[in-house]
Amino acid sequence: MRFISFIVTVLTGALLIYGTVDMPNWGDPNSPASKHVSPRYITKTEIETATPNMVTSVLADYRGYDTLGETTVIFTAGMSCILLLRRRKKKKAR
Amino acid sequence: MILPFDLIIQIFVVICAVAAITVKDLLSAVMILGAYSFFMCLMWAQMGAVDVAFTEASVSAGIGTILCIAAIMKTTRRTKD
Amino acid sequence: MLEFIVSKYNFWIYIILMMIGFYAMIAKRNLVKKIIGMNIFQTAIILFFISTAYKTGGATLPILLDPHGHGHGAAESAVAVSQYINPLPHVLMLTAIVVMVATLGVALAIVIMIYRKYGTLNEDEIIKAMK
Repeated sequence: MRFISFIVTVLTGALLIYGTVDMPNWGDPNSPASKHVSPRYITKTEIETATPNMVTSVLADYRGYDTLGETTVIFTAGMSCILLLRRRKKKKAR
Repeated sequence: MILPFDLIIQIFVVICAVAAITVKDLLSAVMILGAYSFFMCLMWAQMGAVDVAFTEASVSAGIGTILCIAAIMKTTRRTKD
Repeated sequence: MLEFIVSKYNFWIYIILMMIGFYAMIAKRNLVKKIIGMNIFQTAIILFFISTAYKTGGATLPILLDPHGHGHGAAESAVAVSQYINPLPHVLMLTAIVVMVATLGVALAIVIMIYRKYGTLNEDEIIKAMK
C-alpha cells in the first residue's frame, strides 16, 4: 500500500515537472503574470488611492470584497470550532 | 536575490519537510513544522514579499503551532508512523 | 542546458515540497500527520504563487520610493512598472494564508472529536472500530 502511494506521488511529480518546461523562466519580468493587470495597480495606486504601499491599497481598496469574504471564512471557521468542541450537558442526563 | 543563500534556504526547507513527516513523535513533528514555517517566512522575505512574510510568521508559525500543540495535549503524542 | 536548469530549478524544488506533503496525506496512517502534510502542501502552493510575482533586474518591494512626489501633474506621474515587484499575488496569498490557518483549526477540532469518540488517532483502528 505504501509502495503504491509512493509510485503515485512520483508519477504526479514527474507530470508537474514536465509541465514546468513550458512555463516562463523564474523571475522573468515579461511573464504573463506581470503583464495583465498589475501594471495598472503599480502606476495608478498613487493617483487613485494616495497610499504608498501597493499591497495594502490593492487589499483594501481595489479588492475589498475579497477581504470581506476572507473575514466571512474566518468567522465560519471560528463558529464551527466552537460548535464542535463545546461540552454537551445533555450527555450526562442520558 | 542572492543565489547561494536562496539555495541554502531551499535545502533547509526540504530537510525540515522530510523530518516533519518522518519523525515518530507528534510533538516533535509540530515543532519541526514551526521551524519549517519560519524558514518559509525567511524565503519570502528575501523574495520581496514582506507582507506575506509578516503574516506567515505571526499567523502560521505562531497561531498554527499553538493550535497543533493544544490539539496534541488534548489527544495523544504517540504514533506508529 | 545549464541555463535551462538555472532558470527552472526553483519550480522543481517547489514541486518536491508539494509531493512531500502529498505523500504524507495519502500514505501516513496518523491523522495529525495527514494534517501536517496538508499544511506543507498548501505552503508549497503559496510559495509557487509568490514566486510568480518576483522580477529579476533591479525590482524592489511594492512600496513607492517617493510617495507624494507623483501625481501632481499628469506629465510627471510616470511610475516605471519594471521598478516594482508585482503586488497582486502577494494580496491573494495573504488571503490564502489566513484561510490555511482556518482550515487547520477546523481539522484539528474534528481530530479532537474523533479522539473523544474512538480513543485513537490511527486510521486503520478507527475504520476497524466503525465496522
